Amino acid sequence: MVNWSIGELKKKVSVILNIKVKILSRKEVASSIYLMKLKAPEIAQDALPGQFIHIKCSKGNYPLLRRPLSIHRIDKEKGEIYTLFQVMGEGTKLLAQRGVGDDLDIMGPIGNGFSIYPESRKIMIVGGGIGGAPLLALAEESIAQGKEVRVLIGALKKELVIGEESFKLLGAKVDVATDDGSYKYKGLVTDLLKRTIKEDWLADQIFACGPKPMLRKINEIALRANINCQVSLEERMACGIGACLGCVCKIKTKDKKESKVKYEYKRVCVDGPIFEGSEVIWDD
Amino acid sequence: MIDKPNLEVKIAGIKLKNPVMTASGTFGYGEEFSPFIDLDKLGAIVLKGIFLKPKMGNPPPRVIETPSGMLNAIGLQNVGVEVLIKEKLPYLKKYNTPVIINISGDTIEEYVELAGRLGEVSKEMEVAGLEVNISCPNVKKGGMVWGTNAKSTYKIISSIRKATSLPLVVKLTPNVTDIKIIAQAAEEAGADALSLINTLVGMVVDIDSRRPKLANVSGGLSGPAVKPVALWLVWQVFQTVKIPVIGIGGIIKVEDALEFIIAGARAIEIGTANFVNPRVTIEIIEGIEKYLTENNIKDVNELVGSIKI
Repeated sequence: MVNWSIGELKKKVSVILNIKVKILSRKEVASSIYLMKLKAPEIAQDALPGQFIHIKCSKGNYPLLRRPLSIHRIDKEKGEIYTLFQVMGEGTKLLAQRGVGDDLDIMGPIGNGFSIYPESRKIMIVGGGIGGAPLLALAEESIAQGKEVRVLIGALKKELVIGEESFKLLGAKVDVATDDGSYKYKGLVTDLLKRTIKEDWLADQIFACGPKPMLRKINEIALRANINCQVSLEERMACGIGACLGCVCKIKTKDKKESKVKYEYKRVCVDGPIFEGSEVIWDD
Repeated sequence: MIDKPNLEVKIAGIKLKNPVMTASGTFGYGEEFSPFIDLDKLGAIVLKGIFLKPKMGNPPPRVIETPSGMLNAIGLQNVGVEVLIKEKLPYLKKYNTPVIINISGDTIEEYVELAGRLGEVSKEMEVAGLEVNISCPNVKKGGMVWGTNAKSTYKIISSIRKATSLPLVVKLTPNVTDIKIIAQAAEEAGADALSLINTLVGMVVDIDSRRPKLANVSGGLSGPAVKPVALWLVWQVFQTVKIPVIGIGGIIKVEDALEFIIAGARAIEIGTANFVNPRVTIEIIEGIEKYLTENNIKDVNELVGSIKI
């Protein structure tokens, strides 16, 4: 029997606001990758690393749906949040053209966010491509909690390596892998992760965000090393508030009595976007 | 100028404060929207489609944006009627807004049993009525299979009619050769009102992988793109039946809602627009009131079907 316990699905849903916020700055930090700073004290106050905002990219009704973008940095003192995004389609293209001083219609903060365990001492953070976006806020929070943080960044090529300096400024040790070898290690970021484990730098928790094949591999490595692993998932999304059931992913059900693995569809928007790597069904 | 126009309408014997309802599947179980709007201000809330038993729904991707619209293939994922009764309906009892439950089944027997079960709890749980889904394009059994044929429409609605005294709204599909025949069959079978349209079947192809962008291959099109089609069908059905018609399809601003009312809709349901603007229902209610006041119309019912041809 599939476990449909709704009480359990809802435990971490925070209050979502729908507000207009001012764009304070906008900068193209790499080719087609933009960093946008927003004045949003109400959201900054409550936001957790790993949560996202749901943005209306244009002022009219084209494109129709909002676009979910992760919160890149949270500055509670100044009441500001940052988002880092890559222009992928019409929505993000129009968003990148919005001017400083413009009002942006956003909903947030949405989702559960990463869980940093109090007993964890060493934290490993792995980001692939634009997937690194939510990880800066996570690194900042981990360091603020006194954890030792290492960051592994994977990118196609040198020009697309994002955030290396920002992570270093926070005090994290950073390693980079590029697919074409144009910068630092040539190969996959998952190779770097295996290497750190071989070198006996064993994290208490691994947090990852990026393309699904990368997350899947990281989860395998984490399982083998017996390390807790949390991943940030993505899916095509409509409402962003748990109503439409559009953005689901396959999650194992907790019922262990039966030998066959059972699953249910959970919403990336409000049940996630962070899931334990071990509870995700990766086979498609 | 008149003081305050009347917005109250009656659908299937249910009194609505105003003609603005939520479309099934776009408003969850109501609670999801409570951070954004006062649910008490709505004409009625139509809940996410429910089955007798829980349903997993279709694999992702389930949604994709299209020009001025979206395609969805959720596949009626739902918690099943017992969880609905135990965990979802109690929350809505504190509101003074009629709750209409959208029902589905794989077989006639399931529809009948579900209607009967909801009838049993309707007093305690304050269920105002049922909207019968015979128009979902995203499930293999049930759904649209019933609503594309007049005989099967008559058969299923008359069976449900016998099983419950609750007001019955029948939700129609536009994916038919002549919607008027289906509408008549539903009316003859005992429907108290008709709601239309459900989504139009469509698909989107990824030219790189040459695969459909939805895992289900096809999906249902909704949003502003479908509005002219919906409006035409509402007007067709309005001229055919005596029972009230609820207009659905691409309503995103007050002008859209007014178009439907003028074309014959006694009430309207707002769907996809809820995803874009969670306050859209309230903004449209306010907009209708403003339009009536400015045009010196003292009752929204005067506007229903007032189209001049």
